[in-house]
Amino acid sequence: MDSEDKSHLLPYARRPDFKVAKATELTGKDRRFFRFLEIVPGVAAWTTIIGIILASMYAPFFAAYFIIAFSIYWVLKTIFLSIHVRYNLKRLKHHMELDWGSLIKRFRYEQMHHLVIFPFYNEPREVLEETLKGLVESNYDKEKLIVVLAAEQRAGDDARELALDMERQFGNKFAHFLVTIHPEDTIGEIAGKGSNTHHALHQVREKVIDPQNIDYKNILTSIFDIDTVIYPDYFNCLIWHFMTAENPYKSAFQPVPLFTNNLWEATAVARVMAMSSTFWQMIMQERPDKAATFSSHSVSFQALYEIGYGQANVVSEDSRIFWNLLVANDGNFEVVSLSYPIAMDATTASSLWGTVKNIYRQHRRWTYGVENWCYLVYHFTKNKSIPLKKRWSIAALQGEGYWSLVTNPIMLFILGWAPIFLGTREFHATVLSYELPIMVRNLLIVAMLGLVVSSIISLSLTPPRPEGHSRFKYIVMALQWIMVPMTMIVFSAIPGLDAQTRLMFGRYMGFWVTPKRQK
Amino acid sequence: MGDSKKTKIIMPKEPQIEILSYKRRQRLFQFLVLVFLIALPAMIFYTTGYRLNFENSDSTFITTGGMYVTTDTLEVDVYVDEKQVEKPRLFRSAYYIQNIEAGMHRIVVQKSDLHTWVKELPVDPRIVIEASAFNMPVKPNIRPITEFTTADNQPVFMMASSAVNVFAKATSTVTFIATTTVASSSLKTNEEYIFVDSLFGTSSLSRRSAISRLLDEVDRFRFATTTDTQSTTTKEVIVKKGDVRLVYKNNDVYAVWQNGLNNIPYYYCVGESDFISTSERFGEHVAEAIFGQDASINTVLFESDRVCRLEVKLNRLGQDVYYYDFFPNSSDLVLLLLSDGLYVTEIDDRAWQNTQLLYPGDNFEVVVENDIIYIKEDDSYFEIITEIETE
Repeated sequence: MDSEDKSHLLPYARRPDFKVAKATELTGKDRRFFRFLEIVPGVAAWTTIIGIILASMYAPFFAAYFIIAFSIYWVLKTIFLSIHVRYNLKRLKHHMELDWGSLIKRFRYEQMHHLVIFPFYNEPREVLEETLKGLVESNYDKEKLIVVLAAEQRAGDDARELALDMERQFGNKFAHFLVTIHPEDTIGEIAGKGSNTHHALHQVREKVIDPQNIDYKNILTSIFDIDTVIYPDYFNCLIWHFMTAENPYKSAFQPVPLFTNNLWEATAVARVMAMSSTFWQMIMQERPDKAATFSSHSVSFQALYEIGYGQANVVSEDSRIFWNLLVANDGNFEVVSLSYPIAMDATTASSLWGTVKNIYRQHRRWTYGVENWCYLVYHFTKNKSIPLKKRWSIAALQGEGYWSLVTNPIMLFILGWAPIFLGTREFHATVLSYELPIMVRNLLIVAMLGLVVSSIISLSLTPPRPEGHSRFKYIVMALQWIMVPMTMIVFSAIPGLDAQTRLMFGRYMGFWVTPKRQK
Repeated sequence: MGDSKKTKIIMPKEPQIEILSYKRRQRLFQFLVLVFLIALPAMIFYTTGYRLNFENSDSTFITTGGMYVTTDTLEVDVYVDEKQVEKPRLFRSAYYIQNIEAGMHRIVVQKSDLHTWVKELPVDPRIVIEASAFNMPVKPNIRPITEFTTADNQPVFMMASSAVNVFAKATSTVTFIATTTVASSSLKTNEEYIFVDSLFGTSSLSRRSAISRLLDEVDRFRFATTTDTQSTTTKEVIVKKGDVRLVYKNNDVYAVWQNGLNNIPYYYCVGESDFISTSERFGEHVAEAIFGQDASINTVLFESDRVCRLEVKLNRLGQDVYYYDFFPNSSDLVLLLLSDGLYVTEIDDRAWQNTQLLYPGDNFEVVVENDIIYIKEDDSYFEIITEIETE
């Protein structure tokens, strides 16, 4: 039983099922309902894929019309999203040029502290050093920075020693530097970033925040992946947005992750996937009303305290923390886009095959975020204080997102041709049968023009060429985008289908730590 | 003292670029929805064959059909109703011709130095009619197979006199040496020659009747069965490839489909159900085969939207047939050895059958082995090259 003091929690966050992660943690009707929700995404995806195959065989005319409609939808969606990316690029570059230090002078923010949590597992020393150097070199008063290096006991003595070594090296450069060791095999947790962060937040409150008597409302908590290197004005930019936010204590602040730390060393496929992830986050920066937090982000400590620091028992903890906040605050919580970058690592390995495997596993973990949809819909049926329209729109939007992530690439690049191969004799004799591949091909070519935009934008976000790298690589970087149809299937659709199928059959996933740069 | 007036940079209090507003996003979304609603029916109409006709003062919708013509010859010119079709290529060996108004259309596939293929076919609205063109070289291409070759496998012809014109009616695809002197010490025996020689056996050069030769050499020509079905004049000899059988009866050769309707080639079938329209669209001989007095449930199969005959008579140009087999790597084309040469004819008899002379002459023998056509003429052996060289 949970004997934890819940008096500080928001009323809804005191529910025993507030931090439910899977159906097996519930009983009775709730358990059956949650299990049903876990089955829905996988069934929807498989029904779509199998449905198109069956329709191609038995109702090829209907399937052909559907494919034409879908191809047009795809082209328009590409245009819609490209406009968001282009607009955000303009805003991102503008924000990078601004002197945020000057901009925040008109505010009283001396009371504000930045708590920065870096959960890590067994990443190499240079990753940690580069990350902490980024903090040291930031344009912000270091006396206002509380840094927590959150190590894992299961990573062994080496990780613990490395953390302590970092404390010796950087400890005196910040107001506080705390090393925490997350105990292994804690009941009710799954090993991973979420549980480590959860533990670190508890520890820092007990060991630093409460002893220093710092008001929780005056702490902005940044939960960063260990490879997150901040740009110099990050904290100034964060303060500006915090001070100007309509409801700062009910907001999560989302930067743009640029996976550029090792971009020049990464393989082409890793670069494409890294930049694709960046582009998606740039799109979401322009539609924060439809966004959740992703990877590294910031939020008020007070908000975290009111929900008990989020969940230690889920895989996709970075987004779940936002949904925890939204549900607990009766829908009154939002994402504020910073349109300011943070630099992170592109997923790599020592070999191409290793890179492919790592990217696949990372994206399977990300797409396992579909578990959040089950959580959302479950709590939307419980928390009637959230406006009905908001509940419906979020559930539909998130559901469509996970469904389209899995099905759209397969429909577009594989099943679009199914009626031609599987259709009936009557269908094969029609003009429609011959025109369909031409029409789909032409529409895809138009959609692919978006890749040219992607190529140009990605080059503009690429860091300067380091010594030892040929200029020829710029050409490779421009041309690498032709791999997108393949990467969409191999690294989005298939891992997404993998994740949703696992959830559908109740084979719950654990947290897989994405390897950072090689030791 | 310097200039006391200093330029003062005023830092803006706010970033100048606002987030993309909800209103703008909504407008963009609504615009794209509108585009979708307009584009979807337009594209569905287009892909099903509807076109806007601007030829009249009042623009009207017309329904079009198409033609799908396969050909093994690259870089041919394709004409529909004497107008050349521009860039009709859809795939490497197929042409999809769009926007053809309903009605009878003449399609021509041609290339210099090759025989021209011509067909007249009916095009129906929203339907694509198929055809398979073939273009044999006007001057045959051959590869000599000599008894001896040089060390680097160059064929060597032993001739009685240097005045003899080797392969006067054909073009050799390989260079060869023609010599009147024998220097066998520098030559080697050609294994292929021995093989081909064994195929032809020791038969005389005179051309025998097709039936007797075929019956003599059933195994050589891979005939599946031989049966006496009627009288001595209707002795049936069978050659089979896939589900198609070539049958010789009543002095004619027939291509007989042996399976159900599932995979039957398109040219066995027509969409009509009466004699007159079939006759107008595909020719009286097709109508006769389907609706004539000799048609029966054993020779014609009906389906909801089509009717298919099970056998098609091949055009022998009014000559005796001495030998027949499938053209190499094809079940749509047939080789016919007639009185004046070796011909290739298509089974597709809609409108008419295109028949092209592959090798002229009245005094040679033919063997088809492993999809290679071997000719024996004047004690010389050679292979007929069936793949067209392209630049």
